[in-house]
Amino acid sequence: MSRVDPVRQVLADLISETQAPYTPETIVREFRATYERRLPLQELLNILVNISVKRPNFNEVTEEVTDILRRKDPMYALLVFATRYSKGTLTSRSNASSEMTSSLGSKFSLGSSSDNCSSAPSTGHSSAPSTAHSSAPSTAHSSGPATGSSRISLPQAQDIPTSTPVSNRKSGDFETSSAGGGGGGVFTRRRTSQRSTGSSKEDRDRGDLSVIKERVLSAVSNRSLNSYRSLTSDAPSSRANIANGSGAKTPTHSVVAPTGLPDEDRTHLLWDYYKVDGKKLQKLEIAALPVISQQNVLLSELLHCLTGVRENSLVPLQPDHTSVGLAKFETSFAIHMQLDRSLAELVQDILPLASYFMGIQKIVTATDGQGQVVNSLNEALQELTHDYYLLIVQADAELKHQRLTLQKLLYYLQPTIWVLEEIWTSLVDIQLSNHCDAAVLSYLHERIKRLEGDRQAQRLIIGLARKAAEPYMRMLKLWIQKGVIVDRNQEFLVEDNEVIHRDELPEHYSDDYWEKRYTVRRGHIPSFLEKYSDKILRTGKYLNVIRQCGKRVMPTQEMRLEFDPTSELHVSVINDAYYFAARMLLDVLLAENDLMGHLQSVKRYLLLNQGDFTMQFMDACEDELSKNVDQVLPMTLENLLGLTLRLSSARNDPYKDDLHCELLPYDLVTQMSKIMNQKEEYWQSQHRLELSGIECFAFTYEVKWPVSLVLNHIAISKYQMLFRQLFYCKHVERQLCKIWKENSIAKKFSPQAAELYRSAFTLRQRMMNAIQNLEYYMMIEIIEPNWHIFIEKMKKVENVDNVLRLHQDFLDSCLKNCMLTESSEMNRSIFKLCNVCLKFCDFIQRSQRFFLDAELKSMVCDTHDSADSSESEPESSHRSQVQLETSLDPEDTFSERVTRFDLEFTGLLISFLQQINTMAKKNTADRFMNLVHRINFNAFYSDQMDKLCAKDAMGQANS
Amino acid sequence: MPSEIITLQLGQCGNQIGFEFWKRLCLEHGISPSGVLEDFANDGMDRKDVFFYQADDDHYIPRAVLLDLEPRVINTIMGSAYSKLYNPENVYLSKHGGGAGNNWASGYSQGDKLQEEVFDIIDREADGSDSLEGFILCHSIAGGTGSGMGSFIMERLADRYPKKLIQTYSVFPNQDEISDVVVQPYNSMLTLRRLTTAADSVVVLDNTALNRIACDRLHIQNPSFSQINNLVSTIMSVSTTTLRYPSYMNNNLIGLMAPLIPTPQLHFLMTGYTPLTSDSDVNSQQTVNVRKTTVLDVMRRLLQPKNMMVSTGPDKSNHHCYISILNIIQGEVDPSQVHKSLQRIRDRKMAQFIPWGPTSIQVALSRSSPYVQSNHRVSGLMLANHTSICSLFERTLNQYDKLRKRGAFLDQFRREDIFKDDLSELDESREIVDCLVQEYAAATREDYMQFSVKRGAAGAGDAKSEDGRSGTSGGV
Repeated sequence: MSRVDPVRQVLADLISETQAPYTPETIVREFRATYERRLPLQELLNILVNISVKRPNFNEVTEEVTDILRRKDPMYALLVFATRYSKGTLTSRSNASSEMTSSLGSKFSLGSSSDNCSSAPSTGHSSAPSTAHSSAPSTAHSSGPATGSSRISLPQAQDIPTSTPVSNRKSGDFETSSAGGGGGGVFTRRRTSQRSTGSSKEDRDRGDLSVIKERVLSAVSNRSLNSYRSLTSDAPSSRANIANGSGAKTPTHSVVAPTGLPDEDRTHLLWDYYKVDGKKLQKLEIAALPVISQQNVLLSELLHCLTGVRENSLVPLQPDHTSVGLAKFETSFAIHMQLDRSLAELVQDILPLASYFMGIQKIVTATDGQGQVVNSLNEALQELTHDYYLLIVQADAELKHQRLTLQKLLYYLQPTIWVLEEIWTSLVDIQLSNHCDAAVLSYLHERIKRLEGDRQAQRLIIGLARKAAEPYMRMLKLWIQKGVIVDRNQEFLVEDNEVIHRDELPEHYSDDYWEKRYTVRRGHIPSFLEKYSDKILRTGKYLNVIRQCGKRVMPTQEMRLEFDPTSELHVSVINDAYYFAARMLLDVLLAENDLMGHLQSVKRYLLLNQGDFTMQFMDACEDELSKNVDQVLPMTLENLLGLTLRLSSARNDPYKDDLHCELLPYDLVTQMSKIMNQKEEYWQSQHRLELSGIECFAFTYEVKWPVSLVLNHIAISKYQMLFRQLFYCKHVERQLCKIWKENSIAKKFSPQAAELYRSAFTLRQRMMNAIQNLEYYMMIEIIEPNWHIFIEKMKKVENVDNVLRLHQDFLDSCLKNCMLTESSEMNRSIFKLCNVCLKFCDFIQRSQRFFLDAELKSMVCDTHDSADSSESEPESSHRSQVQLETSLDPEDTFSERVTRFDLEFTGLLISFLQQINTMAKKNTADRFMNLVHRINFNAFYSDQMDKLCAKDAMGQANS
Repeated sequence: MPSEIITLQLGQCGNQIGFEFWKRLCLEHGISPSGVLEDFANDGMDRKDVFFYQADDDHYIPRAVLLDLEPRVINTIMGSAYSKLYNPENVYLSKHGGGAGNNWASGYSQGDKLQEEVFDIIDREADGSDSLEGFILCHSIAGGTGSGMGSFIMERLADRYPKKLIQTYSVFPNQDEISDVVVQPYNSMLTLRRLTTAADSVVVLDNTALNRIACDRLHIQNPSFSQINNLVSTIMSVSTTTLRYPSYMNNNLIGLMAPLIPTPQLHFLMTGYTPLTSDSDVNSQQTVNVRKTTVLDVMRRLLQPKNMMVSTGPDKSNHHCYISILNIIQGEVDPSQVHKSLQRIRDRKMAQFIPWGPTSIQVALSRSSPYVQSNHRVSGLMLANHTSICSLFERTLNQYDKLRKRGAFLDQFRREDIFKDDLSELDESREIVDCLVQEYAAATREDYMQFSVKRGAAGAGDAKSEDGRSGTSGGV
């Protein structure tokens, strides 16, 4: 901005004169500082003294400023100060400050400058030939009679030297009355300022009307802040009181001052039409004045009215307590009936401004301290108020120079009316819907969008919104830059639910951490951040994880984050921060902590990818795991595992020590049916006592933070489910291989003898085929392709949430397609199939030694002889031997038992295949059918199934 | 380490293919000819210890026993760059050095005589391994040492190590050329008997097919032994690749063999490999780029008889079928292609399978050595149990019967102990092989389960009835 605000200009001039060690900016800042941070008054004064010491009117001004400083807002003092020393025009601060204020002031200054005379009140003074002090009273005096009005109330009362005692007494009255009311500190304070105002007037005989006006106004604003703050709730009642008075006077057309009102009841906030000097007010027959004079009187009153000072001809009406909505924050005025109609109309147009202004003020004070966002908004509104006052001051100056008419005023104020109306309705809306923090921002954002057609108002609200969003954006910045939440009022959209500390619960921490530590408060998202709330949450979350990994979070560069609904700049800032955090955490996980290496490791052991290790471990633990689970010694397993890890090809794996053994208290089928949440209809979960080690065994994989974020407790459980199914199948396969080797001795048998066992061998092979195909299916067709997809996707992964999701997808897809989660029946079928195979292996192993003896002996005896004997012969000789050990059913021969196993196995397998068939019909997207195709590759079982069906049909027909 | 495998190389042929095999393994595992691990080969993702052990100075030594009755081949090996590789104590050369004279009986007798020294070596090697899984025997069935001594050692091994597996890589003689070994049919028959009764699985390497492949597929006129052996070493190394580069499945010998062999007798496997390239192909780069190697492509080609390393002759009755198939696929394979390929093969009925049991094409996706560059994206080896393998035995039976009918060349057999009393050994062997052929033939039929062997048809009691015998074999 090239325009330099006049205050700063003046200050700069002064500084250059005195070479004082300040800059205009620092001075303005000091004076603008909030109460808590402000320098002591004396120091502020010193600054001014230092820079203005060379000016001729130094003493007077200093005195004046000292006075103002003591009573009023320092900024006001500074304004006065600058006015005194300014050579040029001092319009308003608006030029330098934000756009919204310019909308207030610019119109007015434009109007003033068209008035060929200098536009600002102060200029009027300095241009006055005589000294300001001596001429002021006379001006006031002369202006008073000229207008024929003795009741230019406040200024007149104070300016006329003779009235000083009156004024003094008045404030004295005031003092006593308020003291009598037992007012608190607020009252005392106000009283003090009031008195000091009086005394200063006494002391220095200051008659500059506009200055006094300014002072009064400033006192109003200053005090209103102080007083209103603590006593909002009393406001309605006090207003009710005044309304009673005004209500009474309106019908009589006589402006009755509500003198009877005790001051302390009146007002506690700003000058909410509190009648300062009501007692002094004379009854004014306004109708008696000529229209032109009426106008001046009216203008003066109107200006007062606009700042909240009660006047005679414009009386605020009693607010309706039952009113809802907008009306609650509205003030209506009764206009003196005797006023000229044309004037009244104009006044009627301007008066809403007063209503808006007061409404805004009320809301501002009422909402003070309701969180950072509201505070910040109020601060912005406060600035606006300053400009508003300035405007009024300017108007007042114009009035003093007789250059103001109501039309002009309306013309000047019109933009301001629009603006304030806009603000007022916005604020009221916010108030009515009880918005706070983020909702306020959302509302403002919404409002900005709706004001698309109204540039000026939109700009104003944007300014407000930007200001209001400042603290929020600060929080946001802190969060997305450092992952820190400083949010005492619970306004921020992310909530930190830290309940547990990492060290306390190491194993369950990670999964909870990710989901629960930080959450988005759904109701606390400003609408303009709604779309990015997820990103915002993640950004800080990632940063926190990074920090918890013991790394410093280094913000890359300065982050300029402010709410700007027009440019949406904040979006790109958020995006940048997000990508930075995501990238960094991803690097921490993938590069520094080698997540993929860990996952490979898990796959190697828990998904049996490292087959030789699995086999070797099974060899090592065979005895231990065949025991009852209660007799399995976890330590032994752990030792054997350690040994196997060190002896197998796994010894080169850097993560092999993360692998451990675990004995779960239930078998997989029980676990799965519990997970699937199905009723235990017929499946009685095996008692723990009957479980063997192998049924309960699982590997577990323990990792440290931050890898445990991905390989969390739930993920490991899923891996374990897969593992247990694979491991059990592998176990069965191994048993089948074992009897294969033992059976291979049969190649030495005589061909006739070998025939007898063929049925057993082919059954074993069918079992092997089924189990191996199941394994192939799970490993090659499910796990491996899914892993492949997972790896491919991981190459393009952008953030850790993606990693988690991909990993979960991988596991879920594996679980589902390995028939673990689809239906517990399939899982049971697999389990049953495995068990039949194991029983069969057991049976063959026990029979082995008998038929070995039988066949090899008979071969040695004489092959030719036995060959000649009938074929049933060896079988019957066999029977006796087999009978010895098949205690279950001693009537069965070996071949009969094999047939029985065959039937059982085939029945189970075929029903399993049919289950898959039905499942596949329901859901064609899954790959279950592949397993059927595998097991039934040469259509062997479809023939079988047809035969069975045919048999069934025949059986039914026969019966 | 578990699942160690001891390789026994017998005779001229056995040592030659064994030599190629070890050369190949060294290359794949990054082991230098002197047994030292190359600098680049330290990623440790392979299992060297199945076939090698480490000496105190960490250099790798093959678990190999080299046996021969004549010094020529072993001397060549010991004169090569790889001489330092082997444990010299494991190299056994008969002191008498005269060989077996292409006589099975001579080899068998010498095996008997030398068994103590030989089994000293084998026992020591077996004791040196943590959990030995089995033996791999490399030999030919037609000669003297590999067949005779090999037969003897196989029998002893089966007795001595009943829980260990015995797998053989047996080279069958080339039927297309007239052998200078006149007693080849006798040798083959006698060895086949041991392969049937003592070995757990036999990988048949048919010289007929190997030569044919060398000529037709690799465009080599008059292929040399080393070129043929190169083919053999490829098959041997790839068929053991799942042991050396373990993954989900087939990580031990039994896991590899058991699914392929449903009943103990039917354990003769044939192999196929694709794509085949010779050194000249690699150099010229002409034929290479014509091929598009996808999984389906590889699997389809593996089912073509022309890629099989066994020459079974035309299947006249068209009833032969696969008992089982294992495809070992190497290279850049998208796992999802496997299923599609299987589906295609199934839908198109590209392969005929046994009717009496479930069977399928198992596919093992195997990693391959990072140190050996292949110019094919995908390559595959098939290990198949196919009933047509019996045509090889039938052929041998026919040749044997012709020779036996004339009673030719039996004198040199009678000289040895085993035939001192009578020639019943020959007849028993013939009967066993005949049963084997019958069983394979029966395996093509649905009623295999009910099948029972017809004992020598005409001559169960009268083993010497030569007319009846030839009639039987013709009838099978």
